[in-house]
Amino acid sequence: MVTAEQVQQYIAAGLTCDYLTVAGDGQHFEAVIVAAAFSGKNRVERHRLVYQALGDRMRAEIHALSMKTLSPEEWAQQQG
Amino acid sequence: MDIQNTIKQTVTENPVVLFMKGSAQFPQCGFSGRAVQILKACGVDKFVTVDVLADPEIRQGIKDYSSWPTIPQLYVNGEFVGGSDIMYEMYQSGELQTLLKPAGSDA
Repeated sequence: MVTAEQVQQYIAAGLTCDYLTVAGDGQHFEAVIVAAAFSGKNRVERHRLVYQALGDRMRAEIHALSMKTLSPEEWAQQQG
Repeated sequence: MDIQNTIKQTVTENPVVLFMKGSAQFPQCGFSGRAVQILKACGVDKFVTVDVLADPEIRQGIKDYSSWPTIPQLYVNGEFVGGSDIMYEMYQSGELQTLLKPAGSDA
């Protein structure tokens, strides 16, 4: 079974993140991801970057991943 | 006709198509259920659902079609919109209602 920590490591290995949290139960995971690579990209493009980082693991090990994807600027505004 | 052409035909001939697990009445996955609820909340009552669990070829084919590894997937006027997270964010911001207005809503 995959742990939330592992999913976090997988994402971090493939995508440089300013902030990253993953919670989950081994099947369903929820992630908040802040990355400079998201700037200027739409939601579909952002999710694709995360799926790319996860590669085959998304098909094989992870049943479902729910995510919030923010650029550093949007993240700063949310914290503001 | 190969599966990619079948999918293309489905999404271009119907304004709103949701590829999901189960049916609108009986979703087989929480995310698919949420996607149906969001469409209904947008006032869309005419949408086509395709149950990917009923056909392994479509289940794999739809992931290849948009290079998107997860189900559900929403298509409006032939364009891939996103999965349930994106649908929810767009619903919250009002973008989804705007996108769906001419497509399938009576509102």
